[in-house]
Amino acid sequence: MARLIVDRVTKTFGAFRALDEVSLDVSDGEFMAILGASGCGKTTLLRQIAGFDKLDGGRIVIGDSVVSTVARHVPPERRRIGIVFQSYALWPHMTVAENVAYGLTVAGVRDPERARRVEAALALVELKGYAARRPSQLSGGQRQRVALARCLVTEPSLVLLDEPLANLDVHLRASMEDEFARFHARTGTTMVYITHDQAEAMALADRIAVMDSGRLLQVATPSQLYREPADATVAAFIGEGIVVPAEVVEVDGRGRCRVDLFGLSVGMRCAPAQRPTPAARACLRAGNLAIVGAGAAGIGARVVRAVYQGGHFRIEAQLDHADGVLVHLTAAEPCRLAPGDAIRLAIDDGWVLPASDESVAVAATPPGVRRRPDDDAAATGADR
Amino acid sequence: MADTAGWRERAEETALLWALVAIVAILSLLPLARLLFEGVAPGGRFSTAALTSVLSSATTWTAARHSIATACGGTVLAVLIGATVAVLVGLTDIRGRNAFVFCFVLPLMIAPQVVALAWLQLFGPSSTLLKMIGLAPAMGSRNPLYSAEGIILLLGVQYAPLVFLTLRAGLRTLPQELLEAGLAAGAKPLTILRTIVLPLMTPPLVAGIALCFVSCLGNFGIPAFLGIPGNYLVLPTLIYQRLAGLGPSVLSEVAVLSCLIGFIAVLGIFLQDLMLRRRDFRITTTSNAMRPFELARWRPAVEIALWILTIIVLVLPLIALLLSSLVPAVGVPLTMQSATWSNYDYVLFDHAAAKRAFVNSFSLSATAAVAIVLVAVPLAYFLVWRRSRLLRLLNLVTEMPYALPGVVLAIAAILLFLKPLPVLGLTLYNTVWIILFGYLARFLVLGLRPVIGGYYQLDRTLEEAAQIAGARLLRRLTTIILPLVAPMAIAGALLVFLTAFNELTVSALLWSSGAETLGVVVFSFQQGGDSTYAAALAMLTVAVTIALMLSTLLTGKPARGVLPWRG
Amino acid sequence: MNYLLRGVWLAAALVSMLAPLSAQAQAPKGKLVLYTSQPERDATQTTTAFKQAYPGIEVEVFRSGTTEVMGKLAAEFAAGAPKADVLLIADAASMEALKKDGRLLAYPEAKVAGLAAGTYDADRTYFGSKLITTGIAVNTAAKSRPASWADLAKPENKGQIAMPSPLYSGAAAIMLGTMTARSDLGWAFFEKLKADEAVAVRGNGAVLTAVASGEKPYGVLVDFMAFNAKAKGSPIDFIFPAEGVPAVTEPVAMLKTTQNPAAARAFIDFILSDEGQKLALSMGYIPARASVGTPSWLPPGTVIKLMPTDIGNVVQNNSANLKRFSELFGN
Repeated sequence: MARLIVDRVTKTFGAFRALDEVSLDVSDGEFMAILGASGCGKTTLLRQIAGFDKLDGGRIVIGDSVVSTVARHVPPERRRIGIVFQSYALWPHMTVAENVAYGLTVAGVRDPERARRVEAALALVELKGYAARRPSQLSGGQRQRVALARCLVTEPSLVLLDEPLANLDVHLRASMEDEFARFHARTGTTMVYITHDQAEAMALADRIAVMDSGRLLQVATPSQLYREPADATVAAFIGEGIVVPAEVVEVDGRGRCRVDLFGLSVGMRCAPAQRPTPAARACLRAGNLAIVGAGAAGIGARVVRAVYQGGHFRIEAQLDHADGVLVHLTAAEPCRLAPGDAIRLAIDDGWVLPASDESVAVAATPPGVRRRPDDDAAATGADR
Repeated sequence: MADTAGWRERAEETALLWALVAIVAILSLLPLARLLFEGVAPGGRFSTAALTSVLSSATTWTAARHSIATACGGTVLAVLIGATVAVLVGLTDIRGRNAFVFCFVLPLMIAPQVVALAWLQLFGPSSTLLKMIGLAPAMGSRNPLYSAEGIILLLGVQYAPLVFLTLRAGLRTLPQELLEAGLAAGAKPLTILRTIVLPLMTPPLVAGIALCFVSCLGNFGIPAFLGIPGNYLVLPTLIYQRLAGLGPSVLSEVAVLSCLIGFIAVLGIFLQDLMLRRRDFRITTTSNAMRPFELARWRPAVEIALWILTIIVLVLPLIALLLSSLVPAVGVPLTMQSATWSNYDYVLFDHAAAKRAFVNSFSLSATAAVAIVLVAVPLAYFLVWRRSRLLRLLNLVTEMPYALPGVVLAIAAILLFLKPLPVLGLTLYNTVWIILFGYLARFLVLGLRPVIGGYYQLDRTLEEAAQIAGARLLRRLTTIILPLVAPMAIAGALLVFLTAFNELTVSALLWSSGAETLGVVVFSFQQGGDSTYAAALAMLTVAVTIALMLSTLLTGKPARGVLPWRG
Repeated sequence: MNYLLRGVWLAAALVSMLAPLSAQAQAPKGKLVLYTSQPERDATQTTTAFKQAYPGIEVEVFRSGTTEVMGKLAAEFAAGAPKADVLLIADAASMEALKKDGRLLAYPEAKVAGLAAGTYDADRTYFGSKLITTGIAVNTAAKSRPASWADLAKPENKGQIAMPSPLYSGAAAIMLGTMTARSDLGWAFFEKLKADEAVAVRGNGAVLTAVASGEKPYGVLVDFMAFNAKAKGSPIDFIFPAEGVPAVTEPVAMLKTTQNPAAARAFIDFILSDEGQKLALSMGYIPARASVGTPSWLPPGTVIKLMPTDIGNVVQNNSANLKRFSELFGN
């Protein structure tokens, strides 16, 4: 099993900086998702890790060996990693068995050992009996699994997955997510998972690295990302955070503070190093907002849209203050709100975004520790 | 891992790259350099006399203009015919597809001069066919083929199969869903052709166009037959004329004219490069090949039109050839009494050289085809996917030996290999090996262009997946890339084989006793006035080639689309 | 007395033993490389007959059109290692060019007795092997039978004439040089041909095909081709025009760089010998040595009126002539 270290990696194409001093540390056996919109550089990063392109600065270490520096470049054939491509890249002129067996053949493994391992890999992805088929005869999900089997049969120390579920339908995606999760639990392979879909990332990953325009914005567990985004971009990207201007009135030094939000006083979470300041920004989630009656404490807003989503409504409203910032929240069915209605919103929690010069340090996991979802609850507010 | 991790891969790649550079340099650059040397330094003494006299002569520029005109015209006609046929055969549901393709490709194997002769006879006063339908022109009337239009017509017909072969191999990779997406959007088939198929087929089409242009530019046989009588000169016939003259500076003038042809050819290739650069033609889906468009009520008309085309292009010239091989002497009318097998007797049994020529031509062509494809696949890899600058330059140079008239390439080969090779002490001169060198140099581009087109359509992640699986370059080339570009590679190999089999102009100077080729023997028959023997030998050549092509139908089931007339 | 007789006997025995040895030592052997532009069949017959006469010599033949042969030679000269020993090509003009370049080796002892004057070089560098005349060929279905060159160029024959192009054929170049030098023909003759839309095709083989197939009922053609075709049944006739006929001699010569001068000389001897001349006769040519006989197609008693050719003149004016011809017949 290998640990992956990406150390201040830079890649430029002409004048365009595709990767800008990206640093990432994936520990042994971790499932790390790299999350970002199209064009953020995540595929470029994957290609650097895989060795298809040479970097212009920094270095990459897989396991114990330095595989990429400016001076030295280990070719992909020697890196002993596995990749599941977005297009699966199955070889059309080979059967499923031949596709899966390729890596073994190259390594010199012969029948019957090779056949046994191919069979085992196919069983792992539940494609027993498909050995003699050709890729053109398989459905999207089946091809996906063949690609995974091919990747795993050589037992690589690191597996890279490039948006593997992008081409699948919703139901298939759900079952494949299970597949990946189960696989990771069973084998403990270090996996780096590229995606633009945050739901996937949240569901599968131990930690998520958020990228934008070639830079790494934040690396943290899904829960931390959701509850404590490092800046406005991350806040808006993850879980549709609503960023509003706020004034921090007082702090307690241990992660809680009192914030004035358009006259409303709200208790929010914040970084321990947060200081009172009039020009802060806060991140609110839909779950933090509730519609209250006219007399209760709250902020005024006007309904813009009310969209039925099966059992509940998504209400989009424009705040009376703050240049009409758009917020959204959920309201249970039945809801009789119509566009133009005036409402009052109560806010029960939020997170104060750290100012750029007091930025939260990227969460570093001590080596050897595997993150599990129930760790996060205990980790909230813990020292960093 | 040690600091030297990856050195084996790098070493393998570097070695392969330099081996390819060496091969291309020897095959393409060396003859050209030697010619250039002869042009500006004949006999070792530097002199620009040849340069100035050639470039200042009006005939040179007239011939150059004619060359460009006929090459462009021939290419346009060939593309029109070849592309139409490729689309009809590849995308519609016409019946008898394989048989038709077989017949359409056949003319490639008949030497251009034989084609020219057959057509001349067809449209001349002694044409049996025209006499039969009473349309024979009066004796002595001017044959309309003796003109620039005639040359363009024959060039277009000669090279249409070339465009067809490359385009058809490319069409095989077009997956159903791209066309269905168009149909679903409500587009009519013609619109789909125009907006989806043709743009995606740009690489193979451009490869075919470039090959066609250079072929027309360097063709000697057709303008020799049709242009000389009217003194319509193109550069290859001008070169031949210079050679027939008796001046002492003949070779240097010939060298300068050859460089002019080479220059025009390079311009054409440069344009091809421009058209393919920076556009993405990759097809990444792996679904089944196309279900054809349905022609419905148009089908019978289209099928008839296609078969009429075949008859005109193939059957008629072959019949003319057959008829003239059965008469005892030229001009004797063919009747039951006059028909004779004596020509075939002579060629098969009395003429030792003809038998040798078959064996020689076959082995030389087959060797050249295989060797060229084996070089073309890795060469195209570096050209398309590695963008090696050195190789890109050399790529332009590979066009030259094909664009130059064969006689000039032969002269270059003689200049290079007359004396024994240094170090090895082997003499290639007057053996089959110098002819093989000539074929390899000349036809490398025929095998390379289709393969390059194939690479442009390939998704690179297929190779990257193999890299990740640990496969080094050579293994990737043989197990992954070669099978995927096989259709285009086979198209290239076929082109090389068919063209080399009947090749004349290079072998005419390089052959020696025991190393005769078919083209040479046919040529000498024709020159000596024995056109009946020439016709008999040409018919035998066609028969043997048909037999070879038919035999491929008997061999098992190769991958789909490997041979154009199978499935 | 006995001693004398015995001595003579011994001497005679010795001499008779040595004589064949010395004869054998003198017989040429080894390899001979021949470059020729004769038609294929003739080249084969010539070399076979030569090998029978000189069994010790192994002959390697390169046969192609004159242009190809001269091109190959030029390349070999340029590369500095010519392979040919002897040449047998169609026309003397090419030989003159080689002689001027200093490539030929003179053979003063050649047996030229009986050869028509002017068929061999005064400096004995090349020797004509036969006489090939160029006359008028007509298709048997043609409307008229021109009896002279002037008849051929009549306006009635417009669009019906084929001729070999001097731009591509050395023999036709000699014809051009010879006829333009005459006052009764000159350039006017060719201008009339041009007015008649005569087509200048590449080589005599093409003219034969054109005339025999009827495409062009009248042609300017070499004699043996017309007669050989006629013998096989082609509907073609040959006419010796009244003004006379130009001729080429298909000369043979040795190269200065020959590797085997003895064998080369033997070859020239063979060509010029009665045996070689009879061979030419049997192949359908008019031999250079008239005493050997006349070919069967030549009616006995026919006197062939040869046009005199000043070969030096022809060669000198060649490029000018070709240029003028090209301009005349150009598009």
